[in-house]
Amino acid sequence: MSSITLTNITKNYGSVQVIRDFSEKFNDHEFITLLGPSGCGKTTILRMIAGFERPTAGEIMIDDVVVSSAGNFVPPNLRNIGMVFQSYAVWPHMNVFDNVAYPLKMKHVPRPEITERVMNILEAVHLSPYVQRMPAELSGGQQQRVALGRALVSNPKVLLLDEPLSNLDAKLRESMRFEIKEVQGRFGITVVYVTHDQTEAMAMSDRVIVLDRGEVQQSDTPMNIYRRPENQFVADFVGKINFIGGVSSGGQVEFPGGQKMTYTGGKTGAVVVGVRPENITMRQDGGVLRGKILQQYYLGDVNDCRVDIGGEILRVIAPGNTYGKFSIGGEVWLDFDEYLVFDENH
Amino acid sequence: MGKSRFDVKAALISAIVLFLLVFNVFPMCYLVFRSFCVENGFTLEAFRRIYTYPLNWNALRNTLITAGLSMVFGVMIAFPLAWLVGRTDMYGRRFFRTLFVMTYMVPPYVGAMAWLRLLNPRVGTLNVFIAGLFGLPENPFNIYSIGGLVWVLTTFYYPYAFITISRAMEKMDPSLEEASKISGASPMKTLMTITFPVMLPSVVAAGLLVFVSAASCYGIPSIIGAPGKIDTVTTRIIDYVYVGSKEGLTDATALAVSLMVTANIVLYVSTFVCGKRQYITVSGKSTRPNIIELGKWRLPITILVAIFAVVVVVIPFATVAMTSFTKNLGKPLSGSNFTMRYWNILLTRKGILDTAKNSLISASAAATVGTFISCVMAWLLTRTKAKARHIPDFLITLGSGTPSVVIALALIMTMSGRFGINIYNTLTIMVVAYTVKYLMMGMRTIVSAMSQIHPSLEEASLISGAKWQQSFRDVTLPLIAPSVVAGWFLIFMPSFYELTMSTLLYSTDTKTIGYELFTYQTYHSQQTASAIATGILVMVVSVNWLLNKLTKGEFSI
Repeated sequence: MSSITLTNITKNYGSVQVIRDFSEKFNDHEFITLLGPSGCGKTTILRMIAGFERPTAGEIMIDDVVVSSAGNFVPPNLRNIGMVFQSYAVWPHMNVFDNVAYPLKMKHVPRPEITERVMNILEAVHLSPYVQRMPAELSGGQQQRVALGRALVSNPKVLLLDEPLSNLDAKLRESMRFEIKEVQGRFGITVVYVTHDQTEAMAMSDRVIVLDRGEVQQSDTPMNIYRRPENQFVADFVGKINFIGGVSSGGQVEFPGGQKMTYTGGKTGAVVVGVRPENITMRQDGGVLRGKILQQYYLGDVNDCRVDIGGEILRVIAPGNTYGKFSIGGEVWLDFDEYLVFDENH
Repeated sequence: MGKSRFDVKAALISAIVLFLLVFNVFPMCYLVFRSFCVENGFTLEAFRRIYTYPLNWNALRNTLITAGLSMVFGVMIAFPLAWLVGRTDMYGRRFFRTLFVMTYMVPPYVGAMAWLRLLNPRVGTLNVFIAGLFGLPENPFNIYSIGGLVWVLTTFYYPYAFITISRAMEKMDPSLEEASKISGASPMKTLMTITFPVMLPSVVAAGLLVFVSAASCYGIPSIIGAPGKIDTVTTRIIDYVYVGSKEGLTDATALAVSLMVTANIVLYVSTFVCGKRQYITVSGKSTRPNIIELGKWRLPITILVAIFAVVVVVIPFATVAMTSFTKNLGKPLSGSNFTMRYWNILLTRKGILDTAKNSLISASAAATVGTFISCVMAWLLTRTKAKARHIPDFLITLGSGTPSVVIALALIMTMSGRFGINIYNTLTIMVVAYTVKYLMMGMRTIVSAMSQIHPSLEEASLISGAKWQQSFRDVTLPLIAPSVVAGWFLIFMPSFYELTMSTLLYSTDTKTIGYELFTYQTYHSQQTASAIATGILVMVVSVNWLLNKLTKGEFSI
C-alpha cells in the first residue's frame, strides 16, 4: 500500500563500493524482484530499505516520508515494514502464536484484537492447527509460514523477502512461490523480493531488477528481461543463450567461420549475436547457417543438441520429435527465429 | 580395511577410557566409598562427625554464600559486558575482549594477593586513598570479610561467565534480533524480549560454572580467609589433610564428598536444564553481526567499561608488579623504596628455580598427554560414529567439573601403593592430576576446530589414495594446528601455576611454583611472591599474544 523511492543510493564498506548510485521507484502494489549473483548488492539494498544498513549517500523514501538520508534516519522498529529472513529468524523461545503476535504487542494493540488478528493471519498462512507449537517442532516450510505471518500481521506498508525460499526443497519452493504471490494479492502490499534464482523472479514479479556488481543492469517486466535483455550480462544471467562473435557491415553479420547472416539492425563493426537455444530451428536443408551436429540428447520433451557452425559451437534445444531425424556428424541447417545483437563489450 | 580401522577406533577408545577409569573414575569412586566406609562397614559416622562441628557448618555456609553471590554478581557483570563487546559499537571492543579473556588465564590467587594489599583494613593502599579522598574517619573496606572474599572471587571468576556468554552470543543468528526490530521493538525491548531469553540457557550455564569454580577455589579463600578466620569447605579439607591422622583424612574425605556432590548436582542440573532448551540458532547465511549503535551513550558506556577494566584488571596487576619492586611494604613505591632484590631472588634462588622446573616439566607433560587425548577425542567425536565415543567425553567433562581438592585427595588415597600403583611423591601424580582437571579445556578447543573442517576435505584426500592416518596428517592436522597449539597452552598454563592440587600432592622434591609462591606469600615475603606472580603474568600475556598471532586474532577460549 506504499511506494518506495530510492534516490542516488551508494553504499561503501570501508573502501569497497557495493552499491553505486542506485535510483529506483517501487510503486504501490508492485512485486519487485532484485535479481543477481551473490555479491551483486541485492541484499544490501533490501537491508537499507529495512533500516539495518545506512546508505553512505542517497535518500530512501517510503511514501512521502524520508526514512534515510544524510541528516535523517528512521530506525527499523519505526518503519512499519514486514520482513521474511533467509534463515526465517523464528524465535526459538516463543511458540507460533507468540511469534506472530510480537509485532502487534510492540504496537500496543489491545489483547483481544491481537488474538483475533493473529488467528486470521495464521489461517491465511495455513498454520491454524499449530498455534501452540514451538518452532523446534515445525518443519522448514511451516517455520517459513510463521515468518511470513509475522511479517504480515501488523499490516505493514511494505513486505521485504530475503531469499525466503532458498532453504526449502524444490517441491515446497514451488508451492510457497504461489502462496507468497497469493498473499500479496490478498493483502495488496508492495513487495521487494531478493533472489538469485531467475525462475522465482520470472514467476512472481511485476518487475525484475537485474543487478551486477552494485549496478542496475536492467529494470523491466519478466518478459522484456527475457526477450529484450539490454546487455550480455542480463541475457546470460536470465535463461540460456548462445553468444557468437561477428562483424556487422552492409546489412550482414559475418561469423569467424566465414558464414554470413542477414542483419538489418543499426549496429556495425564488432558485435555479439545472442540467440536462445529454443529460438533456433533445425532443418535438413535451406536455412541461414550450415552446421554439423556434434551431440544430441533426447530428454523427452526436447532434443538438446550441440551444433558446430565452423569455429563456434551452438546449443540448440529442438522439439523432442526431431530426435532421430538428424544423425551425429551429419549436416544441418539452422534458422534463428529470434535473436539479439549486442555491441562487443556491452 | 574396514575391519582394521574399526579396531584402531576401539583400541583408542579403550586406551583413553582405561586411562580415565584408572586415574579419574576409580579414585573418585573410592573416595565416595571411603567416606561411607570405615573398617566395620557402611556408616555415616564421618559425616555425622564433621557436621557436628559448627566450624564445618560455618565453612559450608561460607562456601555457599560466597559462591552464590559470586555467581549472581559474575553474571550481572558478564552479560552486559558480553553484549557490549559482541553486539554494540562501543569503542575498543576487541581490546576489551582480549583483556577479559586474558584475565581468565591469570591464577586467581594473584587477585587475592593484590586486593590484600589494596584493601587491607589498616594499610590497604586503595583504602587509605579513598579515605583520604572523601575525608572518611576510617578506612571504608575490609578485605578480610565475606564481602572481600566475594569481591575477589567475582572479579576473578566473572571471565568464565563472560567467555561462555560471549561464545553463545556469537553463535546466535543476528536475524533473530533484526526480526524483532522490524516488528517494531526498540533496541532495549529487543535485548529484553529476544536476546536475553534466547541466551538464557547459556546464562544459566555460565552462572553455574562461576558457582562451581568459586566453590572449589582454594587460593583465594586461603589467602584472604585465613587472616579473617573465614573458613570455606576447601580450606577445611586441606586443614584436615594436614592434620595427617587417619581420622583427619576420613573427615577430609567426607567433606570432599559433600563438595563433589554439590558441584556435580549443580553441573548436572545445568546440563539438564540447558540441554533441553538448547536452541539451534546458527543461521543459514552468516551475515555480519548485527551491531547496535549506542548513539549518545557510546562514549559514556565506553568510559564506564574502561573504569571497570582499570579497577578489576589494571589496578590489581599493577599492584602485584609494584609490590615486587618495593623494599618496605609499609611505604609507597618510590625511588628510595625501590629494589630489584626480589627479582634477583626469583632468578637465582635454587628453591624457586627448582620448583619452576618441576612445574614446567609436569605442566608440559600434562599438556602433551592432554593434547594427544584431545586430538583423538576430536577425531572420535566429529568423524566417527563409534558408539562408545561419548563415554570418554562424559568422563572428561566429569573430571573437569570435579573440584581440584577432591581430585587431589582421591589420587592421594588411591595412588600411594594400596592398589598396586604408587606414584605418590612423584611428578607423575601431578601430571595425572593436571590432566584430569584441565583436559576438557584442550579438548573443547580442538573439537570445535575440527567440527569446522568439512569432512569432504578429508574424503577428498582418501579418494586420492591416502590412508586415513595420512589424511589426518596431511589435511586435518595442518588445518587444526593453531587450535592444537592453543589447546596445548590452555592445559599448560593452569597446570603451570596450579596451587590447590599441588598443595596436597607435593613432596620435598616435587614442590611446584604455585605452592612455592603460596608459601612465600603466606609465611616469608610478599615481595618475592609478587615477583613470582608478576613472572607468571608476563607469561600469560606472552602466551596470549602468541595464540593471537597463531590464530590470526581469532583466538577464543
